[in-house]
This record gives sequence, structure tokens and C-alpha cells, in this order.
Amino acid sequence: MLLSPATGGNLTLTQRDRRFGYLLTAPGLAVLLVVITFPLFFTVFTSFYDYTLLTPNHDTFIGGENYQEAADEEYLPGSLWVTVKFVLASVVIEFIIGFIVALSLNATDRFKTVYYLILLAPLLINPVVVGLLWRMLLHSELGIVNYAIGLVGIRPVSWLGDPTIAFWTVVLTDIWHQVSFMAILLLAGLAALPREPYEAARMDGASPLRCFFYITLPLMRPVIFVALLLRMIFAIKTFDIVFIMTKGGPGTATDIISYFIYRAAFFGLDIGRASAMAVGLLIIIIVLTALLYRYMRSLN
Amino acid sequence: MVAQLLPHAVLIAFSAAILLPLLWLLRVALTDKTTAYKIPPEWGQASIGNFVEIFTGYPFFNYFINSVTVAIGATVIALPLAAAIAYAFARYNTGGMSLRLVVLSSQMLPPVILVLPLFTLFLKAQLLNSLVGLIAAHLTISLPFLAWLLVAFFDRNIALVEEAARVDGATRLQTFLRITLPVAAPGILAAGLLSFILSWNEFLFALILSGPQTNTLPVGLSSFQTHRGVDISLLSAATICAILPVFVLLPFMRRYLIKGLSLGALK
Repeated sequence: MLLSPATGGNLTLTQRDRRFGYLLTAPGLAVLLVVITFPLFFTVFTSFYDYTLLTPNHDTFIGGENYQEAADEEYLPGSLWVTVKFVLASVVIEFIIGFIVALSLNATDRFKTVYYLILLAPLLINPVVVGLLWRMLLHSELGIVNYAIGLVGIRPVSWLGDPTIAFWTVVLTDIWHQVSFMAILLLAGLAALPREPYEAARMDGASPLRCFFYITLPLMRPVIFVALLLRMIFAIKTFDIVFIMTKGGPGTATDIISYFIYRAAFFGLDIGRASAMAVGLLIIIIVLTALLYRYMRSLN
Repeated sequence: MVAQLLPHAVLIAFSAAILLPLLWLLRVALTDKTTAYKIPPEWGQASIGNFVEIFTGYPFFNYFINSVTVAIGATVIALPLAAAIAYAFARYNTGGMSLRLVVLSSQMLPPVILVLPLFTLFLKAQLLNSLVGLIAAHLTISLPFLAWLLVAFFDRNIALVEEAARVDGATRLQTFLRITLPVAAPGILAAGLLSFILSWNEFLFALILSGPQTNTLPVGLSSFQTHRGVDISLLSAATICAILPVFVLLPFMRRYLIKGLSLGALK
């Protein structure tokens, strides 16, 4: 075996099993400690120092000053609000569309594979490509979308120029990219539902709508919670399409938190303060993840 | 009748919403530069000139090689490490459910949280602008992702074969290397493809940690400018090249995609 037989000789079978398990996990976990755990602690460490790209060192310990500065940051509340709006808007709309698509797929047999493959496609597309694609389609003078709506008499829309519209344009782009994720999760839940309640309900003459609200929704509740939470956590990570489409603008209309922190670090050059904000974001993610795990346990 | 047609109506509309923008992208990529800008659209002769030009006139070949190197590097390093972790989780329940969830948690991290310390650490270690550094950064995504995903591949069916091997006197390590891994290989390779795509599509790490010589395809795309500004037909051709490999790989991993994308939250 891996250790010398002399030391392994007196161990029971269970102890040997356990030791083998540790030996197998050790290399991978060591790598994870180096590339993830250590950097995360390093962020917390840096957040207490005056670390800027002009003075890139940990010479000046300043305690909670970065946190104070971050809290006083004029545009931070705005960025948090944009993030909350973005996450809620995209996740809720993706949930509604995704549920309708999942129910439709669950009710079809013909062409199901074709629909399914098309559904999967956006999820695999590079987010940078998604951003570039929609920026091109929605160009106010040269875009095909404004031309198409012009054919039915709608005036050209400034998709990325007006703050309110730009926010919704980014939301819609994210929906195009990610709605399939919701649909797939919900479809997996629908496919696993038992058939008996529906047969009993049909015997009693219940309408499809009643079946949906009194059988499907209650049975799907754990799956719905997991899908919503998982998608929320992923939506908070959004960075790429904002970087490509709006750079946080116009003004601060699409300045979501990942982009805000990125700017504080690499345009504001203040890594210490950006780290303080990153620690705050980390805490939010930890809370949401803990919540997610509670529901995932109840699911299995 | 209506009850049967309604789902198809929904799905056809939905499919069109996904496909039409992609088909338009293809159309622009195949159109010559001036025609591409014409509104209302004109249909010229299709040509692959744009595809030739982005590889000959611009550093896209370089970006392409960098992306392939980083994605393969991260996947090849992560795959054996992750397979070992996953096997220990599945067969010996090492660390219990808690350790599994800790590994999964890293998937929830916004990349911006990790890129700050990686940048400062790489600055110290002189790993900025290097493909090695970028591969290390991509391990933060691919290793936990694969470890979590692969647990499901070492299921009860293989366990029965393993027990037979153990009875015949094979050690635990021999059983894992000679029996389990070959049986689970197709699934493990499919998972590897998925991890390749995660790396291939990654943007923020590459944006911050790579330099002009080591830019990956998404970074190259994001800053693509010609001397006359953005040229949409060239840009479209380049984006097609960025998504094409993914669709070529799709058929080989369809079965594992759902589990992979949902992080195993659902089976």
C-alpha cells in the first residue's frame, strides 16, 4: 500500500479505508487551499492595509479604515441597489419564462430533443460573445432590431443610451443567456413528479389550472427554492455582459457590484478598499449559500 | 387539440428567440464589410473572407492558442486531482457531506472576490501576464467543479466490480487505478470537456491577469478594434470562432450537461 506495511499492519479495515480516503483527497485539497482558501484570507488581510497600486505593499496597517471608506463611498449604495434590482428582475423573469418553457417541454414528445438542444445552446456561449452579439443587434442606428421594429411603425429605441432602458437591456440580455438554466432545473423537477395525484385529480374533474396550483406548485416547492437561490447566487456574479455592453453606464445605471469593485481596484487603484468591499460581498454570498444548502439537503 | 399545440407554439417561439440572433451573427460574419452595415439589410454574396482576415490580419490565432493552452492546462491538471477527491467522497465518504459542500461553495464565489488577491499575489510572484498564472487561476473554477461533478460517476455499479477485485487481492489503490478509472473514463472525459468550456468562456481572470502576449480569446474579442474602429463583420467572424468549438463538443457531453450546469443540485 501507500504507507509502509509496518505502520499499516495493525490497522483495522475501516481505519485503512479512512486513511486511503485522506490520501486520495490530500493533493487536490492542497491545491484548493493554495489557490482559493489562501487568497480569500489574503483578501481579508489586505482589507486592513493601505494597499494601493501606487504603494503595492502591506506596510501600513490602517485597521478598519478601508471599511469606513467603503461605507462612506458615495456611489456604493447606488451600486448595491442596481445589483438587487438586476438580480431580482432577471431571476424573477427567468423563473416565469423558464417555468412556461419547462411545462411546455414536459408536455411534448415530438421534437423534444431538438427543442432541448436549442434550449441548451445559450448556456454554453461565451458571455463576452453574448454581450457583443446583443450590442450589435441593438445598435441604435445600425442594429437590425431597431430596423425590424421600424417596419411595424415603432420609433428607434436607444437601447444602451438611456439609463432606464439600458438597465432593462442588460437584464434582457442576461435573460436570453441564462433563462435556459432555470428551464432545465425546473424541467428536471417536473420530470420527477409522481403521477398518482394528477390521475386522482382528473377523476375528480379538476381543471389543468387547478392541478397546476394545487398539485404541481406545492410538489415543486423545494426544486423552485433551489433553482431560485442558485440562479440568484450566479446572478450576483454577473460581470462580463456589463463590461461589454455598458461599462456600468450610462451614468451608474448598470453599475452592478462586481463591476463597482473591479473599478475601485483597477481604476481607483485602491486594492485595500476594493478588498474591504469584496469581504462584504463574500459575507452576503456565504449567507445565501448556507440558505441554499439547507434546501438542497431537504431535496435529497 | 389546443392543449397539444400550445406547448409547441411556446417552444417554437422560444427556439426562434434563441436561434434568430445566432443566425444573424452568422449572416453578418459571412457578409463583406460594407454590406454588413447596410440598413435596410442587403444580401450580398456569402464569403469566408472575414474568417481568413481575422486570423491573418489580427492576432486571433495567438488568442486562440492561448485559450486552448489555458483551458487544456487547467483541465488536465484538475481532472486527476478531482477524480481522486470525488472517488474518496463517493466510496469512503471522506470528510462527510460538510467537506463536499465546502468544495462546492467555491463555485458560488463571484470571480471579482478572487481576482483581487490573485492579482496582488501574482504581482509579488511575477506571475502576471503568464499562462502558468492563468492556468492556476482557472484551477479555482475547474477543480472544485470537477470534484463535485465526478462524485456521481463512481456509483454503486462500479462498487460491485471493485469488491470483486478486492476479494481477488487487489489493493485499494490498484482497484481505483486499474478497475474504477477505466470503467468511469467516458464520464470523466465528458466532465473534462465541460471543464474545458468553463475555462474557454472565462473572462474576468483573463482580463486582469493576462497581458498582450497571453490574452485569451474573450479578452481579445472584448478589445477588438480595427484601425477604422469596430468592424462588425470581422467581429462577428471572430465571435463565431469563439463559440464554434463549444458546439462541436456539445454532442459528446450532452448526457452530463444537466448535472454539470446545475452543479449537481438536481439529478
